[in-house]
Amino acid sequence: MAKIAIDPITRIEGHLRIEAQTDGGMVTDAWSSSTMFRGMELVLQDRDPRDAWVFAQRI
Amino acid sequence: MVNNSESNFMQALAQRGVSRRDFLKFCTFMAGTLALPASMAPKIAQALESAKRPVAVWLEYQDCAADTEAFLRASNPTVATIILELISLNYHETIMAAAGHQAEALLEETVQEGGYLTIVEGSIPTKDNGIYCCVGGRTALDILQEVAANSAAVISVGACAVWGGWPASRPNPTGAKGVSDVIKGVPIINLAGCPMNVVNATGTIVYYLTYGSLPDTDEQGRPLFAHGKRIHDNCERRAHFDAGQYVEAWDDEASRKGWCLYKMGCKGPETYMNCPTVRYNDGTNWPVGAGHGCVGCAEIGFWDNMTPFYKRLPEVPGFGVEVTADKVGLALTGATLAGIGIHAVASTVRNRAGRRHPGEAESAEETTDSEEDVVEREG
Repeated sequence: MAKIAIDPITRIEGHLRIEAQTDGGMVTDAWSSSTMFRGMELVLQDRDPRDAWVFAQRI
Repeated sequence: MVNNSESNFMQALAQRGVSRRDFLKFCTFMAGTLALPASMAPKIAQALESAKRPVAVWLEYQDCAADTEAFLRASNPTVATIILELISLNYHETIMAAAGHQAEALLEETVQEGGYLTIVEGSIPTKDNGIYCCVGGRTALDILQEVAANSAAVISVGACAVWGGWPASRPNPTGAKGVSDVIKGVPIINLAGCPMNVVNATGTIVYYLTYGSLPDTDEQGRPLFAHGKRIHDNCERRAHFDAGQYVEAWDDEASRKGWCLYKMGCKGPETYMNCPTVRYNDGTNWPVGAGHGCVGCAEIGFWDNMTPFYKRLPEVPGFGVEVTADKVGLALTGATLAGIGIHAVASTVRNRAGRRHPGEAESAEETTDSEEDVVEREG
């Protein structure tokens, strides 16, 4: 039983970490986590709705 | 050695289909972008040919990869090729082949050697010990401080790296900051814009290779060659502003005619960037050219200070524009009307003088006499 972590996952847009539990060369369990948070939903609150697209397209 | 590296560089370009003529055209274009005289083009060419390939690492934190896109889509393939040929990009998460430990090892190796360019895209979260962005189990803040300390210079690309961008906007949930807020003691240049313009990034790198230093900057750390002029002053629609010709509603006749977008919320009068001249996508177009007002993305805090984007400037909190477009328009209309008035009076006088000929014989003769007098005196 060994646990491996691949962080960063490259060639993607964004930040991703993969952890995998292996047993005899087979992956028995795996977890993924997004390792970056900005809070777009919180930033968009209480703003002019006509501005939303300018923010949201920059997610 | 110099000859060798020269020929190596030119050979590498030739293999990618870039001729010497293309290369020299690029150098002239760069001299123009950097507001240098065209006579500097040969010096740029010489510097680029003999320069040691600079090593760069590209760090991405709270970003959307738009600046990476802008960089990769240097849509003029010649420019992109030359720049990719010039830089040895040792680390860039979005495009590198290695992942995980191997990727981090490459970064570590480069940092050990030192003297590289650090390019940063995205803001750096500082709240709760910076846990809102981690790479390889370390926080962005921790990695950036280590990487920047050993580098020759830092280039912040895009609004987020420059001052925090939208992640740092109200209410800034993660305590996001710009690079220059968290890094001291290393030269930093801010390539503002959301995204930055690849022409300005290329210009900065070319300047660095030619002169061995970063170009002059304004008080916000932005290169003067790109941010020295106001969008409003170079805008292709400026004549319509001066003439009081405004778009009043999307899709009205004025918008079809390409009139001024000020009343639709254009922030060009408060924004300093070279968009009207360099444009985007290989000079294809830019927001105002495409019919949408400028949102002021080159300015610090634009997400809070320039919003709502569709309200015109004087109604935006934080701005002290004293004269509204209406007043400017009225004053100009007044002057124009006065001009038209004078013109109309002059026309009437001329017409009356003309009408005298058939209608009033005496005065017609007087006019004729006086004209003959003038001719005689002149003769």
